[in-house]
Amino acid sequence: MVNLEELKKEASQILKEGKVKYIIGFQRSSNGLLPVPAFIKDPEDADKLVWDPACVYNLTLFLRDEKRKKEKEKEPDERPVGIIVKGCDSRAINVLLQEEFIKREDVYVLGISCENTGVLDEKKLAKKLKGKKAKRVEFGAKDDFVITTEDGQVKIAAQEVLAERCLECKAHFPVIYDVLIGEKTKRNVENPFKSLEKTESLPPEERWKFWKEQIEKCIRCYACRSVCPMCYCDECVADTINFVVTPENFVYHFVRAIHLAGRCIDCGECERVCPLDIPVRFLNKKLEKEAKELFDYEAGFDPEKPSLVSSFKDEDPEDFIR
Amino acid sequence: MAEEFEPKIVAFLCKWCSSAGSDLAGVSRMEYPSNVIPITVMCSGSVSPLYIFSAFNKGADGVLVSGCHPGDCHYIKGNFYARRRIALVKKLLEYVGLEPERFQMSWVSAAEGVKYTQVIKDFVKELKPLGPQKKLRRTQ
Repeated sequence: MVNLEELKKEASQILKEGKVKYIIGFQRSSNGLLPVPAFIKDPEDADKLVWDPACVYNLTLFLRDEKRKKEKEKEPDERPVGIIVKGCDSRAINVLLQEEFIKREDVYVLGISCENTGVLDEKKLAKKLKGKKAKRVEFGAKDDFVITTEDGQVKIAAQEVLAERCLECKAHFPVIYDVLIGEKTKRNVENPFKSLEKTESLPPEERWKFWKEQIEKCIRCYACRSVCPMCYCDECVADTINFVVTPENFVYHFVRAIHLAGRCIDCGECERVCPLDIPVRFLNKKLEKEAKELFDYEAGFDPEKPSLVSSFKDEDPEDFIR
Repeated sequence: MAEEFEPKIVAFLCKWCSSAGSDLAGVSRMEYPSNVIPITVMCSGSVSPLYIFSAFNKGADGVLVSGCHPGDCHYIKGNFYARRRIALVKKLLEYVGLEPERFQMSWVSAAEGVKYTQVIKDFVKELKPLGPQKKLRRTQ
């Protein structure tokens, strides 16, 4: 079990010692289930930190803003930023390190292990509760979630309401950290690409129909781009093709997927924020699968390794080339 | 009688090998279909995936990326990077349901005029039964 008190103690300790500028974490919101990101400077505010299955956000996104802010400051505070990460988020840090977007000394990583569970899928939970509104979700004792609704508490097995990506997660504990809270437990994932099977097994014309229907919906709000910790370019190439018509939408989503090939760590944020429920995560997941199968590459495990598209092997497949 | 469908192919040819190969085919007066719109790029590794998506978007029925044989790259390893990237693009396009025949890659050296004509002939032959590419083509 992750001990929240341990996290709070650690956070207030490093703030007191002045080890970090501030800590990016989660705190309660005034409304509803999902917490909001918290930026804590005062050691006494460390008490506000929370950790529950509704902490879905990937906070490494804010490292991008932090870097931009720091670049503009005349006399920047050189101390690192404390950040609370889950397993998937920690891999995002590894990718940012690999690309030298951030330096190791810029971050102080407070890693939290998801242990045998993970984070919640709000839609699955809403379905499960049949209209009742959940107020609070907590980790239970035995791989279950304790959900507080208006009519009291219910226990639901975590497997039933976990986000799809958590069910396919390869490492649900941080792979990079300064402090680890919780245990590194081993969990067997039979098929890390299970959610892809449904679309992959369709015949090509059906697949086209499926994707056309999905991409047609896109209103180009760019929420998926804004929320992605890996989309940190100052200018985006997609801004040159911003007509909201299906073929152009396809170009945008292709470019997004290709730019994330070998970088996407499957935090699933793009899909969560999509106001039209486009399964954008599948495009990234597909390329993640191909990277694994064709080039034996997995994103975010080793910051020392060269990235997927900036490296090659002599034996890379070329059976498709004439 | 309706005219036979003539596919439009956009070919990204690297300056050092494939472009010279197509030149050789031309100056040797070899015959091959005139469906290709060649675009010379400095290296197959410099072909951004956006070029490919953009070509389909602007009405190409097929796209070809052609570079030097592995080990012959003018920039030593550009075509190795291309090989990886193009493999991913190909998989992605197939995943959303574009016909795999529409996007091809080939190695053509400066001496392989004959191979170049063969690649184009085969490509055109494969594209003809598929008809025009409407999936990614913009309508306006």
